[in-house]
Amino acid sequence: MRIVIAEDDPLLREGLTLLLRAEGLDVVAATDAPGPFLSAVGEHRPDVAIVDVRMPPTHTDEGIVAAVEARRRQPELAVLVLSAYVERAFAADLLASGSARLGYLLKERVGRVEEFLDALHRVAGGGTAIDPEVIGQLLTRPRPDSTLERLSPREHEVLALMAEGLGNAAIAEKLFVTEGAVHKHIRRIFAKLGLAPDDRADRRVTAVLRYLDAAEK
Amino acid sequence: MRHHLARRLRAAGNALEHVLGGLGTSVLALGAFLWLVVVAVTCLAGIGLVLTPTVFTLTRAVADRERRRLSRWGPEVLGPPPLPATTRERLRDPAVRRELAWVARHGTAGFLLGVVGITLPVHAIQNITFPLWYRAFEPEDGGPGLVFWRIDGLGDALGVLVIGLFLVAVAVAVIPGIARLLALPGRRLLAPDGDVDLSLRVAELTATRAAALDAHAAELRRIERALHDGTQNRLVALTVLIGAARRAGERNPAAVAGILDRAQDATEQALAELRAVVRGILPPVLDDRGLAGALGGLATACAVPCRVEVDVPGRCAASVEATTYFVVAEALTNVVKHSGAAAAAVTVRRVGDRLHVRITDDGRGGATESGGSGLSGIRRRVAAYDGRFEMASPPGGPTTLNVELPCGS
Repeated sequence: MRIVIAEDDPLLREGLTLLLRAEGLDVVAATDAPGPFLSAVGEHRPDVAIVDVRMPPTHTDEGIVAAVEARRRQPELAVLVLSAYVERAFAADLLASGSARLGYLLKERVGRVEEFLDALHRVAGGGTAIDPEVIGQLLTRPRPDSTLERLSPREHEVLALMAEGLGNAAIAEKLFVTEGAVHKHIRRIFAKLGLAPDDRADRRVTAVLRYLDAAEK
Repeated sequence: MRHHLARRLRAAGNALEHVLGGLGTSVLALGAFLWLVVVAVTCLAGIGLVLTPTVFTLTRAVADRERRRLSRWGPEVLGPPPLPATTRERLRDPAVRRELAWVARHGTAGFLLGVVGITLPVHAIQNITFPLWYRAFEPEDGGPGLVFWRIDGLGDALGVLVIGLFLVAVAVAVIPGIARLLALPGRRLLAPDGDVDLSLRVAELTATRAAALDAHAAELRRIERALHDGTQNRLVALTVLIGAARRAGERNPAAVAGILDRAQDATEQALAELRAVVRGILPPVLDDRGLAGALGGLATACAVPCRVEVDVPGRCAASVEATTYFVVAEALTNVVKHSGAAAAAVTVRRVGDRLHVRITDDGRGGATESGGSGLSGIRRRVAAYDGRFEMASPPGGPTTLNVELPCGS
């Protein structure tokens, strides 16, 4: 797996590189700003880009902008965004452009190396990885009685895990139920959200977005 | 046209009323002024000294009367604080001095103006009514007012009437102006001093309050950025390194020591940065050693030899001390970075309830607020406290920074 990193903090950049190389992954470039990052992506055509949200010059959302631009230039590029905070608007921006090959994690998750590598592989393999904290914040926002039928608590749980990017088997394992039960829950969630009963990865995140959208109105 | 005329007449009538009132207070002012002169002259002989207090109370009474008159007519004229206790203090009080100046002006020029303002309509009426009563006088006596020539028969008397009509026109035209002129010294001298114009002051306070909020927000942003870029990133790097060390422990134990070394470095950096942020908020050294000690510490740490002189009895408000510390630290950083100076000096002095801070160096000068020198930061932080910031830095030097802050205690 060929990786390009964009992270302006030198220590963290080094740490990430060290960690990934120790895992036998191929870090082809480690950059510190959006400009060098984009040229590195153009030059190396990596499989995955790991991007910090806040980067120079203004330290606001340069990372997100750069990631979106990189994907525009190379649509098959998988992007894993690292953020110091849950920045809801950024997560939504990113997901709006399609959720396949996309990840949004809090920086400290990197320390949980197994989970981090799992998320990285998931994203590289065409899936989605959204930080549980992000999902938690998005789903627990106070919402008025929406036009949507309310989801049951169990369906809510399934939706949250789905939003993180987990597959049916992984969800079943986490909830101590059978895969068949998970499948049934997902079909019911889709029905309540007015989606066709098809649980491809894309559709799954659409469901989450639809739910969040409805929650916001 | 008729409308216009009626309005002019009404305005003249109102103005005449004010002229009457103004003439009244000017007579009183003239009395007070004459009394002032008498007391002043007798003071030379020593007798007047016992009478001086009466000058001030009399002046204040007349001035208050004029304030009430002006307040009825236009915007309210606010009175000054009560008279100070002693003659010496009274003579030093700007409000009292302005009252004395007003008495002199209103009692003389004002009195003459008032007399003219009243004589004009009186003469006009005399002249207009003259044909009715000219027979009561001998032709040689002439007419009323300025009519000194011989009046022979009704023809001449009607001529005087025409002059009267002319005088009416003049009166209507000039009396409003006279009324305003009569009020002018009072409005200028009896209102609170121009230096403390209240509306300006309110505007200024509003602006500085906004500046304080801005400074506050800027400070919070600075702290947030410092915590995010420094401490938080260090801690994230730390957890990444710990994770890496754990993984390495499973397969490549030889690498663990190196990774832990880096982790320790990251921790130390995080601590150092956290300390810097905390110090920036409220330098603990101020609490430990007071302003003089803290500034002495800055001077010792300064690469350019620096003399510090602090003459501040007691303590100022903590935020003012912190600002002073910030200003001096920032200024000395500039001296080291930009001035090429061989020596610098810091003096801090308390004058009344103001803190005067001066930082000088013998460097090349030419400092400007642009160019990220931190001077605009100083200005903002000083403005937030309603303070004053001045800099003189001619090319070739020397550079002098003067900062004035309220002590807040």
